[in-house]
Amino acid sequence: MASERYSFSLTTFSPSGKLVQIEYALAAVAAGAASVGIKAANGVVLATEKKHRSILYEEHSVHKIEMITPKIGMVYSGMGPDYRLLVRQARKMAQQYWVTYQEQIPTAQLVQRVATLMQEYTQSGGVRPFGVSLLMCGWDEGRPYLFQCDPSGAYFAWKATAMGKNYINGKTFLEKRYNEDLELDDAVHTAILTLKEGFEGGMTEDNVEIGICNEQGFRRLSPAEVKDYLANIA
Amino acid sequence: MASTKVVNIPKGGFSFENCQRNNFMAKQGFPAPKAVKTGTTIAGFIFKDGVILGADTRATEGNIVADKNCFKLHYMAPNIYCAGAGTAADLEMTTLQMSSQLELHRLNTGRQVKVATATRLLKQMLFRYQGHIGAALVLGGIDSSGPHVCCIYPHGSTDSLPFVAMGSGSLAAMAFLESGWKPDMELAEAKVLMRNAICGGIFNDLMSGSHVDLCIITREKAEMIRPFEVANVKGERQGSYRYPLGCTATLSTRVIPIEIESTVVRPVAEESMDTA
Amino acid sequence: MSILSYNGGCVLAMKGKGCVAIASDRRFGVQTSTLAMDFQRIFEMGPHLYVGLPGLATDTLTVHERLRFRLNLYELRESRKIKPQTFSAMVSNLLYERRFGPYFVEPVIAGLDPVTWEPFISAMDLIGCPNVPEDFVVAGTCAEQLFGMCEALWEPNLEPDSLFETISQALMNAFDRDAISGWGGIVHVIEKDKVTTRLLKTRMD
Repeated sequence: MASERYSFSLTTFSPSGKLVQIEYALAAVAAGAASVGIKAANGVVLATEKKHRSILYEEHSVHKIEMITPKIGMVYSGMGPDYRLLVRQARKMAQQYWVTYQEQIPTAQLVQRVATLMQEYTQSGGVRPFGVSLLMCGWDEGRPYLFQCDPSGAYFAWKATAMGKNYINGKTFLEKRYNEDLELDDAVHTAILTLKEGFEGGMTEDNVEIGICNEQGFRRLSPAEVKDYLANIA
Repeated sequence: MASTKVVNIPKGGFSFENCQRNNFMAKQGFPAPKAVKTGTTIAGFIFKDGVILGADTRATEGNIVADKNCFKLHYMAPNIYCAGAGTAADLEMTTLQMSSQLELHRLNTGRQVKVATATRLLKQMLFRYQGHIGAALVLGGIDSSGPHVCCIYPHGSTDSLPFVAMGSGSLAAMAFLESGWKPDMELAEAKVLMRNAICGGIFNDLMSGSHVDLCIITREKAEMIRPFEVANVKGERQGSYRYPLGCTATLSTRVIPIEIESTVVRPVAEESMDTA
Repeated sequence: MSILSYNGGCVLAMKGKGCVAIASDRRFGVQTSTLAMDFQRIFEMGPHLYVGLPGLATDTLTVHERLRFRLNLYELRESRKIKPQTFSAMVSNLLYERRFGPYFVEPVIAGLDPVTWEPFISAMDLIGCPNVPEDFVVAGTCAEQLFGMCEALWEPNLEPDSLFETISQALMNAFDRDAISGWGGIVHVIEKDKVTTRLLKTRMD
């Protein structure tokens, strides 16, 4: 990959002190499909839009929400192929931690390590920054966690947030709707409503994916469960 | 792209930094000591609803019993377990490493792991180390192609058979299996046969002992029964050997008080986030 | 002669009721000549966590330093105290990494969980096979004698004071029958609110 001709970093400062490559990466994220994360009192929810450009598309074979460890899940906005690499690396990091300490990796630790990896791609030769922002949710030591990881390698802990297309509207919506003692079920509803803000066309169980994480661990909801939640909204 | 900076200090892989020193000391007449072995009785066979694995619980260091109640049945995947004989540390670490790889495989493929996958992963790893990793395993599990039991030898060869036994007590255990095993046994029958096979090892092989552990894997679930039978109970103490307080002479006593920061849980993770 | 007996020394640990104790002798010798009677082979790794490293003295020191390094890094990265179980896995990982060129130490770990205050003890062979029993662990040149003493003296739910008597008597009577261990003893009793360290008056021959 790092052939000699390109073994310099492509992410370089502009005269005004900006890393424009990172700004372009963030633009790629903002152009990607929307995803939402909300932390409730008894769990976390991740939700995302799955865009289909054709009716010929097979909906339930490729997933956007992925399990990293039994207690940690992840979703993205931005470029799918870049995400796949991060999912693989995150799973590997989690397993490395497990083999060394025989203890499940805490969400904050995994986030920190994934963020470090993303940062390396902004400073290493022959590579470009990732075109994705990640939302990672987890449950450890009796409480839920929700983090966002950006292409720059910056990471944030959120109570609730939105990324991707229309994220500004999404965040404004969440600021109005969010309260501290939300139950997980209500959080799922709020997440769906937030997605609905900028949704093109009707929401169905085929174009929305939802993952929840609570004391029992992380799981992706089945299309049937998503359908039930959507029915309650309408 | 090397992402080694992300990884923690342990880089993975073995370190040979002490080998030269240790070889030198061996030449001076101080050979490297022996590690803990589990001279063991382990067995596994197929019954009507799945697979049953059994093991004793003694670990030995030479003639000393190092652990009277050790784990010899290891988790590999939700549908696969494995029993181990040989060098205890090798078994512990090999099964940990392999279960981690199978978990990655399971997450990355989104399917249940096949027993054949686990077997191949193990035999390839053991063959690579040419028998220096002293792990002899009985692997059992159930997958889409049915129940499987298989032996994996330290050099990387495998047998897939309906009933197998390994370890120093395998002769005793095999005697029971050869005479008692038949196809399509009921669970209750299978438990009794396995108990007899392991007890054969416990009572006739000196390197096996203590209790019987079982693991039963069916299509629905995997169940670990530990202990299934306490074959040897420590005798009850008749008198009290407790020393009266103050009979041990001391030269000095130093007390370090520890102030407990109370039980308030302060979520440290969130605070460190602000710097982002 | 095994390299593990080159410098002599032994360590044992016992579980009590809401407490754990770890004890060792204090001799440092080279084969049969005694060079020091104040050798430290039990190290404090945290307020409630101690590790004993009997075996070749040079490796006692090296392994202690390496563990300190890994532990400090862990606690800084995660900004929390390590659990004894996790520390045990860390030691095991360190030793198994050198599977084919080991350090000649057999670690003994004793501690209380920093959250639940649950007692924990474990012992390892020189390549890191963990042994986590419910009663006691022993290691070192007089392991056989220690096993015998502990099997006879240990009983469940000992209070801190009784645990001290039990572990001290087990240690002293065991190393009195071992020529290359002894020359003083040290006992740490670890409780939730304090650690009591006592130096024992023993035979000095």
